[in-house]
Amino acid sequence: MNIKKIINRQNIIALLPMAALAVLFLVFCTVVNAKGYRLDMYLKIVFNEALVLAIVATGATFIYTLGTFDISLGASTLFSATLGVMVYNRTENIALMMAVILLTGIVCSLLNSVLASIFHIPAFVTTVAMMSVLSAVSAQIITVNGGALGGISIPSSVVKPFDNMPFKIATLLLFFAVSVFVFEFTKAGRRMKFVGGNPLCAYLTGIKADKYTILAFVMAGIGIGLGAFLTLVYTPSVTTTTASSIGMNIFIAIVFGGMPISGGARSRIYAALVGGFSYMLLNDILEIVIDSSAAYGITQVISAVFFLIVVYITGMNYKTALLPR
Amino acid sequence: MNTPILEMKNITKKFGSVTALNGVDLEVYPGEIRGLIGENGSGKSTISSIAAGMQKATSGQMSYEGNAWEPESMIDALNKGIGMVVQESGTITGITVAENIFLAEMKKFKKGLLVDRKRLFEEADRALSNIGITSISGKDMMDSLSFQDRKLVEIAKVILKKPKILVIDETSTALSHDGRQIMYGIMKKMKKEGGSVLFISHDLEEIMEVCDTLTVLRDGNLIRTFAKEEFDEELIRTSMIGREIEGDYYRPDFSCSFLDEEAIVVKNLCFKDKLKDVSLTLHCGEILGIGGLADCGMHELGEAMFGALKPESGAVISPRGRQIKSPHNAMTDKIGYVSKDRDRKSLCLEASIKDNIAIAGMNIFKSGAGLITRSAERKYVDAQIDALRIKCSGRDQAVAQLSGGNKQKVVFGKWIGCDSKILILDCPTRGVDIGVKQAMYQLMSQLKSEGKAILMISEELPELIGMSDRVLIMKNGEITGEFQRSKDLSESDIIGCMI
Repeated sequence: MNIKKIINRQNIIALLPMAALAVLFLVFCTVVNAKGYRLDMYLKIVFNEALVLAIVATGATFIYTLGTFDISLGASTLFSATLGVMVYNRTENIALMMAVILLTGIVCSLLNSVLASIFHIPAFVTTVAMMSVLSAVSAQIITVNGGALGGISIPSSVVKPFDNMPFKIATLLLFFAVSVFVFEFTKAGRRMKFVGGNPLCAYLTGIKADKYTILAFVMAGIGIGLGAFLTLVYTPSVTTTTASSIGMNIFIAIVFGGMPISGGARSRIYAALVGGFSYMLLNDILEIVIDSSAAYGITQVISAVFFLIVVYITGMNYKTALLPR
Repeated sequence: MNTPILEMKNITKKFGSVTALNGVDLEVYPGEIRGLIGENGSGKSTISSIAAGMQKATSGQMSYEGNAWEPESMIDALNKGIGMVVQESGTITGITVAENIFLAEMKKFKKGLLVDRKRLFEEADRALSNIGITSISGKDMMDSLSFQDRKLVEIAKVILKKPKILVIDETSTALSHDGRQIMYGIMKKMKKEGGSVLFISHDLEEIMEVCDTLTVLRDGNLIRTFAKEEFDEELIRTSMIGREIEGDYYRPDFSCSFLDEEAIVVKNLCFKDKLKDVSLTLHCGEILGIGGLADCGMHELGEAMFGALKPESGAVISPRGRQIKSPHNAMTDKIGYVSKDRDRKSLCLEASIKDNIAIAGMNIFKSGAGLITRSAERKYVDAQIDALRIKCSGRDQAVAQLSGGNKQKVVFGKWIGCDSKILILDCPTRGVDIGVKQAMYQLMSQLKSEGKAILMISEELPELIGMSDRVLIMKNGEITGEFQRSKDLSESDIIGCMI
C-alpha cells in the first residue's frame, strides 16, 4: 500500500485518540513518580475509576451511533445499583442481586427506546424524563432505607471476591468483545451506523430504525447493569450522588475517544474504551498537579477546553471530507 | 470582452491523495455565459466552488475585478459579487423559505429584540416574484417543497444579492420546463446587464444553445476552450471523454417486448391531489417509462410503489402477491428504489462506498452463521465497483467525495448487487454525464434482458422514448396517455398528454 495513503490526514486524525491515550499514560506515570507517589496504587485507582466509565460508555456508544444520546445513563446506573442493594439486603443472594442489577439496567434503557417508539419522539427526549424519574425514585428508596447522606449498603465481604483485577479486566474485555462483534460483524451494528448517518436513506433502504434503536438501548442497558455492579464492587454502598456525573463524563469520554458527536458511519466502538481511560488519566493528572482545593473546578475547566479542541479537530476533518468534487 | 472579471491561474486542488484539479486556468469575461462541461469527476464543480468561496484551492492564484480573490466563505463571495447555485440541495430544511433566503441577513429584519416576520415574508415573496416565481410563498416550510422548488428558492436567494458572476452547477436537470425558462431568463438578463454566468451542465444541447464559450475539463485538466463559432457536438463530446463514444446510446431495438409475468400491480392509487386513481402493471423484462411535468405526480407514484408514501386508498401488489406498505416490505420483495434526491434519500454521504453498497446486500454476503466478514464484504463491493466502473480511490473513499455520476453508480450498485428483481428509478440520469448516461442505459438494457422489471420516471422525453417499452404520461395525478415503443414515436406525440 502507498505510504502516502497510510499517512493521510484522516488516518492521522483517526489515530490521534490512541496517541493521546499513550501520551496521557506517560505523563501520568511521570507526574506520579515526580510527586513520589506509588505508581501501582495510582494506576489501580485510575483503572477502577475508568472501568465503570468505559463499560457504560461502550454500551452507550450504540446509542450515540444512532445520532442520539442518553442523558439518563447515570440515573439508570444509580437505580440499578439501588435495587441491587435492596434485593441483596432482603435475600442475601448475590446471584439474584447481580441478575436484578443487570435486568434493571436493561429495562431502564429499553423503556427509553420503547417509549420513544410508541410516542414517535426522539429517544433523547424520553431519556430526559427517565433521568428525573429514576433519580427521584432512587433518592426516595435510599433516603427511606438508609438516609440521604449515609446511603444504603451491602457488606463489603459480599463483593470482595469480585474486587480483583483479573475479574474486572475480564468483564471489561468480554463486554468490549461482544460489543465489537455486534458493532462490526453483524447486520444490526452496520445498520445502526447507517441509521445514524442518514435516517431517511436508511428508511428508504428498508431498515427499520425503531428495531435498531431498541437493540442499541439494550446494549447500553447491559453496559449500565455491568457498570452498576462494578460500582458496588468498588464501593459497596449507594448514595443519592452515586454515578451522578457518569452521563456527562461518558459524553466527554466518547468524544475524547474519537467518536463523532453526530454518530453515523464514522462511529467507532473503541472510542468508549480509549476515551474513558484518557478522560480519567487527564482528570487524575490535573488533580495531582494542581493538588489544591480548587483542583476539581480547574480540572473541569481544562477538560472542557480539551473537549472543545477534540470536537474542533474531528469536525474539521469531517468538513474537509464532505467538500464536493 | 477585454479584461476578464474573474481570472483563475494554475489552480490545483487535492483531496488527500486524489487530485481533483491539476493546474487549471479559467477566465470569465463580463457579459459572457461560460459553459463548463466534462465527465463526472472532471473537476467542474470543484473549480466553480473554489471561485464561489466554498473551498480553497491547494495552490494557484485568483483575481476578481483586478484584485486578488480569496473569499472566506460562500456568503463572503456572494456579498462581494460571486454567487453559486449548487448541484445538490443548498437549502436548509426545518425553517421557512423566507428564513432560507435571508439566512445571513436576519439583522435586516430586527425589530427591537424580535424579528419582523411580516416584513421578512413580504421581502421573500418579492425576491421570489422578481424572478417569476409566484407559486412559492416565503411562509412555506422548506420541507414542504419539491426538489425543484427548493432549487428555485436557492436561485432567488443568490439573485437577490445581484451577483456580478452567477455560478450554476448542474441545476437544469432538477428543474421542470418552467423552472428552466426562469433560469435561462435570469442568465440572459445578467448577460445583457454586463454580468457573467459560469454554467455547468451535462446537457450538451442546452449548453451549446445558451453559452458563448465552452471550457472542457477532463480528469482535473483543462482540455480546450471553444468559442461559439467552434461549437461542434461531436468534437466537444470527444474532448470531454477523450475517446469516441462506441456502441448504442439508447436501445437499438424498437420492439415493445416484455414477459407476461407481472412484477408489480398498482391498483387505484390515490394520494391527495398527486395521485388520482392510478392503476398500472409493470411486467418482468419491461422498462416502463413514466413521464410528465415535474408536479404531475410521477415522483409520488415511484415513492408509493416502493412503500415510502402511504396512499389514501388503493394498493401496490408485489410479485409475491402481498401489499407493499413500507420500504422494508418492498426490499424483502426484491424491489429497489433510486430517488431523484440522491444525496438526501439514496446515499449516506459521510459513509464509504463500501458501506453504501453493502448495506442492502448483507443477506447475500453474510456467512452461514449470519456474520458479516470483511473479506466477503470487500469481494461483494469490489464486484459492484468493477462492474459499474465507479471512479474512486478505493472502496473506503467517502461517497461525499465522489462526483454526481459516480454517486449515482454507487446507488445503482447498492440495488443491483442485492439482486433486486424490480427497480424503481426516479430520474436515474439526473446530473450525470454522457458517458455515465450511456453506461446506465446499457445497464438497464442488460437488466431488462435478464427479466428484471424497471420503472423509469423521467422528465426527459428523449430518454423515455429511447429506453421504454411503454411510456405512461401523467398530468395532474392521472395517467393521460400510454405509448408503445415504436420507431415513429416522437416527442410531439407525447407532449399533448403532458400539458
